[in-house]
Amino acid sequence: MSERGTPLLSAAQLSVRLAGNRIVDGVSLDLNGGELVALVGPNGAGKTTLIRALAGLLPAAGTITLDGRPLAAFSARERARRIAYLPQGHAFHWPMQVAAVVALGRHPHADPFSPLSGEDRAALAQALATTATEPLAERTVTTLSGGEQARVALARALATQAPILLADEPTMSLDPRHQLVVMELLARAAQGGNAVLAIVHDLALAARFAGRVIVMDRGRLVACGPPRDVLTPQRIAEVFAVEAVITDTAAGAIPILHRPM
Amino acid sequence: MRRLRDWRLLAVLAALIVALAILSLMVGPAALSPRAALAGLIDGDGVAGIIVRSIRLPRTLLALLIGATLGLSGAALQGLLRNPLAEPALFGAPQAASAGASFVIAYGFAGATSFAVPLAGIAGALISIGGLVAVAGRRASLTVTLLAGLALASFAGAATALILNLAPTPYAALEIAFWLLGSLEDRSMDHLAIAAPFFVASWLLLALNARAYRALTLGEDAAASLGVDIDRTRMMVVIGVALGVGAAVAVAGAIGFIGLVAPHLIRRRVGSDPARVCLPAALTGAALLTAADIAVRLVPANPTATAIELKLGVVTALIGVPFFLAMIFSERRALEGAPS
Repeated sequence: MSERGTPLLSAAQLSVRLAGNRIVDGVSLDLNGGELVALVGPNGAGKTTLIRALAGLLPAAGTITLDGRPLAAFSARERARRIAYLPQGHAFHWPMQVAAVVALGRHPHADPFSPLSGEDRAALAQALATTATEPLAERTVTTLSGGEQARVALARALATQAPILLADEPTMSLDPRHQLVVMELLARAAQGGNAVLAIVHDLALAARFAGRVIVMDRGRLVACGPPRDVLTPQRIAEVFAVEAVITDTAAGAIPILHRPM
Repeated sequence: MRRLRDWRLLAVLAALIVALAILSLMVGPAALSPRAALAGLIDGDGVAGIIVRSIRLPRTLLALLIGATLGLSGAALQGLLRNPLAEPALFGAPQAASAGASFVIAYGFAGATSFAVPLAGIAGALISIGGLVAVAGRRASLTVTLLAGLALASFAGAATALILNLAPTPYAALEIAFWLLGSLEDRSMDHLAIAAPFFVASWLLLALNARAYRALTLGEDAAASLGVDIDRTRMMVVIGVALGVGAAVAVAGAIGFIGLVAPHLIRRRVGSDPARVCLPAALTGAALLTAADIAVRLVPANPTATAIELKLGVVTALIGVPFFLAMIFSERRALEGAPS
């Protein structure tokens, strides 16, 4: 699957059981620097579980390789510097200042007993600038709108400056404009050399922004490749039980969904 | 990162604590002037020296250490649970310490002020930690840990009630009942020496995880992805709170509300960042408990009654609850909707 040298993160025959059920079943995939990969699939396909396992947050059978070494051989801190993870529905439990929330992205780099270094500050400034959250820096995160919170959550993940970004439905419950803003930010991170894997429910967004699309169904990886090859009417019918047509546009071959089958 | 405003607040709290500590050395049945109290503390000569050094100094130091432990425990638990309602009694350690101490008092092994009481209290707290880890498991989820803690707290409460119920003499029952209300009366430097190592261990365990509480504002998954070992953090906080609060109950009886109120008070000043709340919450707890212990000595008591002084736990609750209600009232809109 890899076209661009050694993958940054790869999984081979990855399986995850939760409460006795096999949620992820023998998935193998590679993530390369410089590409945005969309992970699509119906609810319950195992997308979140797969991404959590790839982030090292769940015990999994099979092998996950990070920079050519087994993921399990990395300390939590080393791993956190290499893989940034953006959970679903970004939670902010305390009404903290946006700047302090984004600074949490530097947690894996920071010395527990010293203030932020120059490098930390530069990373924070860049993350705030990239996500256009600088004007929000002094605001209280819990008072922001959903779109603003999504950008802050993304800024927090980008502030780590990890080469790998795993995002679980980063466009969830966002208005159309913010969905595009977030996808553009992810695409830009990929253009900057990062490997970005994002769970996306909107197939049109996936087709438009992702270099590759991975389709999961009932725990298995059923297709992987460029959107035009993977998101065909036949596969969309098989996996999502939805009738679709593919429309060629300036932005690529975009699936238009018609009706449930 | 602490800002200038934070440092100023810490300086104010430190000054307040010093002033309260001096006041605490002055106040009692034999009132001393500040000069006489300080002279007694430094020289140790005469009646003033004995009063200050062997009676008022231990209780002042204990009030400071216990108050700080309760304040820090509250801040740490609220950070761990991401919930401003968490308080140190949540995992059953104080209740178990009460049960251990009550047992010793009831069966006449010792009077309420002997060292056997704090030792039994600490043993009770340690047993409760062991029970919690055994029942919930080392890598238990928060829900399982909370449920196991709740069960253990109820069990320890029932054990204390049983001990009261079966107390061999009415006098023993009365002694337990008063002891449970919390007091620093007649505590000595030996009490301090027994409890201090537990307090220090508790502070270390809780303070070492301050950055983890901050990362946990993003939820457990995101915090784990940032390199925080969630299981280890949870275990360290549960043990840290149990050691500190268990030892506090063991030497002073049950003292409520400080662990809940101190972090709330301080959040209005330093904001909600759970890491920045820890130190000022500890200092606020120390100041609150010292002030309460001064108050119990100032309120005229009836010398013919069984209890000479008002009990500390009574005062912290009597002052703490209305205060807490006032705070909820003034902040209820913020608490209900988007926090301020």
